[in-house]
Amino acid sequence: MFHIFCALPCEAEPLIQHFKLTELKQFELFRIYQSKDKHISLTITGVGKINAASAICYHHACINTHPADGWLNIGVAGHKNIPVGEVRLINKITDHQNGACWYPQILFDSAVGSEALITLNKPSENYQDSLFDMEASAFYQMAIRLGTAELIHVLKVISDNADQSTSTVNAANVKKMIAAQTTTINKLILALKPFSDELANTLSEPEHYQDIIGQWHCTQSERIKLCQLLRRWSVRCSDQDLIQTLAKLKTAKQIINTLYEKINNSEFVIHD
Amino acid sequence: MISMIYIEEEITDHPRTRSLLKRFPEATQISCERYGEVFNRKSQNFRLQKKKPALILAKKHKGLVLPTPKQYGIGAEHNYYFSHMLNCLYDCRYCFLQGMFQSAHYVLFVNYEDFIEDMQSMLSRHEKETVHFFSGYDCDSLALDPVTNFTAEFLPFFTKNPQALLELRSKSTQIRSLIKQEPIQNCVIAFSFTPDKIARALEHKAPSIEKRISAIIELQNAGWKIGLRFDPLIYTKNYAEEYTTLFNSVFSKLDADLIHSVSLGGFRLPKDYFRKLEKLYPEERLFSSPLEEEDNSISYPANIRNEMLEFCKDIILQHIANEKFFPCHEMI
Repeated sequence: MFHIFCALPCEAEPLIQHFKLTELKQFELFRIYQSKDKHISLTITGVGKINAASAICYHHACINTHPADGWLNIGVAGHKNIPVGEVRLINKITDHQNGACWYPQILFDSAVGSEALITLNKPSENYQDSLFDMEASAFYQMAIRLGTAELIHVLKVISDNADQSTSTVNAANVKKMIAAQTTTINKLILALKPFSDELANTLSEPEHYQDIIGQWHCTQSERIKLCQLLRRWSVRCSDQDLIQTLAKLKTAKQIINTLYEKINNSEFVIHD
Repeated sequence: MISMIYIEEEITDHPRTRSLLKRFPEATQISCERYGEVFNRKSQNFRLQKKKPALILAKKHKGLVLPTPKQYGIGAEHNYYFSHMLNCLYDCRYCFLQGMFQSAHYVLFVNYEDFIEDMQSMLSRHEKETVHFFSGYDCDSLALDPVTNFTAEFLPFFTKNPQALLELRSKSTQIRSLIKQEPIQNCVIAFSFTPDKIARALEHKAPSIEKRISAIIELQNAGWKIGLRFDPLIYTKNYAEEYTTLFNSVFSKLDADLIHSVSLGGFRLPKDYFRKLEKLYPEERLFSSPLEEEDNSISYPANIRNEMLEFCKDIILQHIANEKFFPCHEMI
């Protein structure tokens, strides 16, 4: 799943339309939208760091996110001389208030260039070589607690610069600027998906794990041991019928001992 | 090859930084205060990062040259190791670096001069005694040599100091810089080996066994001293047959008289690293090997370990003299 966060309704609207998202009315604190297949969700955070951090926590609690999910902060930002309408990924986020830095890990090939960004507490027209916004540091700081640095990204469309200041920015042209980048945003999600899928695979439970813990009572430590043994079973005993092997056993302890014994008595070959 | 380079602010103007950046004009440059901000952060995934590692240029401040663990060595009383780099171009599934580091990015410490100064002070501490320096614990010594210029910059120190010996541990065939220069007698190029089928299964992106042997032949012909490191020994059902094939292949092609040393070591990992690796690669066969925990370490049970070590030792000693053989610490 991919979770998108926009500060403003005008940033979110083109994405809501593009991904055909519908509002989840049961959640009232922030407006949350989701696609029918639940693959993409979006929350409108409001402006500023406190709003951004709160919205991520709320979204996480409402949507039931997974550690292998992708997290995207999409919106507009200012820059000294990048032309208005151009898009950039962010490779370094600095919180202006305390100087703390984060480094989103861009592991995919992208036609979009990357830049550093500074998150400010107030809007500023004192443009620099870094982009300016008001949410990214809080977004990243919170999202990194829930996901992994390779799948948390900030993508900003330049809305103002030294030649075209913030006074030229309004909801209508923000909508247009974001709408013009929906293909780029789609490509970003497609580029991240293989990483997310691979991570989800490594985090998935081994085959038959749920069947076993549903049928036999297992303590927490037995569950951990069971996971390890089932993974080894799939490598070393894949030609044997697991369910039949365990069918007559009465306790989790017996299951663990049986798996352990069967695995240890199997031949081990490290290559095909 | 490298598309992102993080640069510590302190070494932005270091001549080695400037020359490295010229090699990658297309790479995005990102400044950072200290490399740990990128490299040591939690919530990073080593497996994902290994697909496209970035380069981090940094300065090593402390612990540049450190004593090796007591059990490791190839005959000297004073043994030290140093790492001008962290992480490796290759992706060997048994490697402890995957468990030790949060990030798969390559860290290159550009202040070679400080490493050399520290090595000089270690030599002064052990005046007139032989001191061995090991490179290749936290990286492959040669794999990125064309980029880092490591051998060209460090070898002159050893030419000037014959009481010091350098071991360059590697699986790489990047030997051009060594071949170009006159060999020095106090440098050992030590290649690690596992049998071909095991190498294919576990040593991803590393040169084939055949290519490693060819590189050794070239180095021997040029007069360089060679070390052979059968470490880690990896267990599989037909290990005896596979290691016999490997030893026959290596010793039939190399001049055994010109081999400086041979060492052996069973597969073992600190428990915490092993658990992390298991989570990163749950589908990996290696981690389903017959292994057990002992003293906070994961290794083969004593019967397997000793049987393999004895078997390999017997064959190795048919090819080389006993004084060149350095069995590992866990051998009973």
